[in-house]
Amino acid sequence: MAKFNQTIAILILALVSTSAQAEEPLAVVVNKANPVNEISRSELIDLFMGKYVAFPNDVKAIPVELKGEHDIKVEFYQNLVDMPLSRVNAYWSRLRFTGRKRTAVFKPNEEELIAFIIANEHAIGYVPQSLITEDLKVVYILNE
Amino acid sequence: MNKSGLVIRLAVVIIFTAVIVGLITTQLFYRFTFLNEQALGEQSIKQLYKTVSPTASIASYLGDEELANEVVNGLVSNDIVTAAAIQTDTLLVKSEHYQKSTDTVEFVLFSPFQKDREVGILFVQSNENHLTVKANKISATNAFVVAIEAFIITLVSILVTYYVITRPILNIGKALHSITPGTSERISKPRSHQKSEIGQLADDVNDLLAKAEQQMLREKNLRDEVQVLESRFRMLFENATSAIVLVEPQGDILFYNETFEQLIETLKLPLKKNYGNYLQDLFIMKKDLHDHIRIAFSNNESAAIELELNTYQEEKRWVQVVVTQLITDDFQENYQITLHDISKRKKQISLLDQKANYDGLTNLLNRQAAEHNLKQLVATKAPFALIMMDLNDFKPINDIFGHDSGDELLIHVASQLMKSLRKADVLSRWGGDEFVIVLPNAGKEEVSNVCAKLAAQLSKPHHLSQHNKSVFVTASMGVSFYPDDQVELLELIRLADKAMYQVKRDKSVNKELYLAFSSDISYVKNNSKAP
Repeated sequence: MAKFNQTIAILILALVSTSAQAEEPLAVVVNKANPVNEISRSELIDLFMGKYVAFPNDVKAIPVELKGEHDIKVEFYQNLVDMPLSRVNAYWSRLRFTGRKRTAVFKPNEEELIAFIIANEHAIGYVPQSLITEDLKVVYILNE
Repeated sequence: MNKSGLVIRLAVVIIFTAVIVGLITTQLFYRFTFLNEQALGEQSIKQLYKTVSPTASIASYLGDEELANEVVNGLVSNDIVTAAAIQTDTLLVKSEHYQKSTDTVEFVLFSPFQKDREVGILFVQSNENHLTVKANKISATNAFVVAIEAFIITLVSILVTYYVITRPILNIGKALHSITPGTSERISKPRSHQKSEIGQLADDVNDLLAKAEQQMLREKNLRDEVQVLESRFRMLFENATSAIVLVEPQGDILFYNETFEQLIETLKLPLKKNYGNYLQDLFIMKKDLHDHIRIAFSNNESAAIELELNTYQEEKRWVQVVVTQLITDDFQENYQITLHDISKRKKQISLLDQKANYDGLTNLLNRQAAEHNLKQLVATKAPFALIMMDLNDFKPINDIFGHDSGDELLIHVASQLMKSLRKADVLSRWGGDEFVIVLPNAGKEEVSNVCAKLAAQLSKPHHLSQHNKSVFVTASMGVSFYPDDQVELLELIRLADKAMYQVKRDKSVNKELYLAFSSDISYVKNNSKAP
């Protein structure tokens, strides 16, 4: 049943989103100098949903986000936690009242996001697979 | 009020039933309420869990104590929750009084982002006490309502019973008490029960009263008739001039009338309960009574016999006794004995007898009676001597002193003669100054002696009171013997008469002569004739 729902959601997404980007898998990337070569899905969720602020090797991690409601961002969260962006935002709003601060850095577009990761050893972010360069290390691929 | 009265009984039954039903209802309702509340409580807790689960999940996921505290406090602020706790790998947040126990409900908390990833456990302790209190409160209200209901039902039932059933019945009972059976009084039908069973009861009672009245009227009439009849019979019985007595075979008197009582009184006898069989002690001739009764009863007749009564009085009392055998309805033999007083008749008869047979002056038997007596003697062939006596010189006395003095002298002679005779001897006045004396079984010598005595008695002078003068008479006596001299009565008398005249004739010669036997005279006569 869950699989069926997932299939339907993907189909809807495919119809709504732009054809070229929608079908492209998303890659989770880090600085080339980062010793972490691979990351699990849970560790990825924990990093982006604020549970952990460090990589499994206890090195500080800085999640890099796209600002606003970027299509890639929507797709990322949809693929990662199966939630629309509004709910993810609501989650963070709730946490803000308890005094918890988000460690993520926000970038207006993919270029600046990639630039920040290349420049920062602790950064971790998500980009469409087509935008991967030599300077980035892919640790996880979403929506394969 | 009556302890076993309808109202009390009904009240007891209703109250008892109400209490039992109330207790059962309350208990059942309490159980039901409690279970219901418990289920509601569990449901409420589940709902609470649903409400807090996203936040609790987030708190567990992040290990955020602040958020966990928020959840726990939120839960505890509910009445139905006494304590709550959130436990994760790294964190344990619990409310005050939290103590893990069996009634603690556990909810597994999953990661908000990965539905299969357990991140912690939520513990909730439901408020059992709160449930009990709530159930108790509801049950108490219920019990109160049931009690009020029972009270109202009891009250209404009692009132209805009292006013609709008991009071009308009591009124009928009261009315019945004040009614005298046999009169035209009737009880009135209760107005509200014209057609009910109680009305029917009143009707039935009235029917019964009517029947009783009829019955009593009939009985009263019958009683009056019997009374009239009885008074008539009593009058007959009590006023009967004859004494009537009802006796048992052993002689016990069952019943007697006033006349009998008076009779006993006049007899100067004590009034007793028993005078022997057939009142035999009252009579002088008991044997006659029994003989008569035996003969009469064997012929199925009443016995009737005239008997003289035993009495201490001088006067003789005679009664005609009629004894009738009576068989009662229960086959007992009784005797009705009637005593008719016949003393007067007896007396009259004896007076008549006296007049017919006795000489009015001297009270001696008269000639007729003497002849009758002689005939009887002859008929029985009993030997006797017959003395014919005639007074000498009586006529001159009669002439000189008058008839009264003559009568007086005759009475004197009669009494003088009586003195010299035996009881069996019979003295009679034959006529005028003639007397006949019969001496049964007497020989010549004996007769001579008697005659000598008689002559001696007569020779005593008699004082005539009227004339203050003493006189005396002599007599001539002729004797004949039956059957030696003669068997024919008239001839016998003639012989004595002849002998007596012989004496009178010879007296002129021999003054002392007073007696002659006819046998001697016949001899003399024969002698005188012979020459």
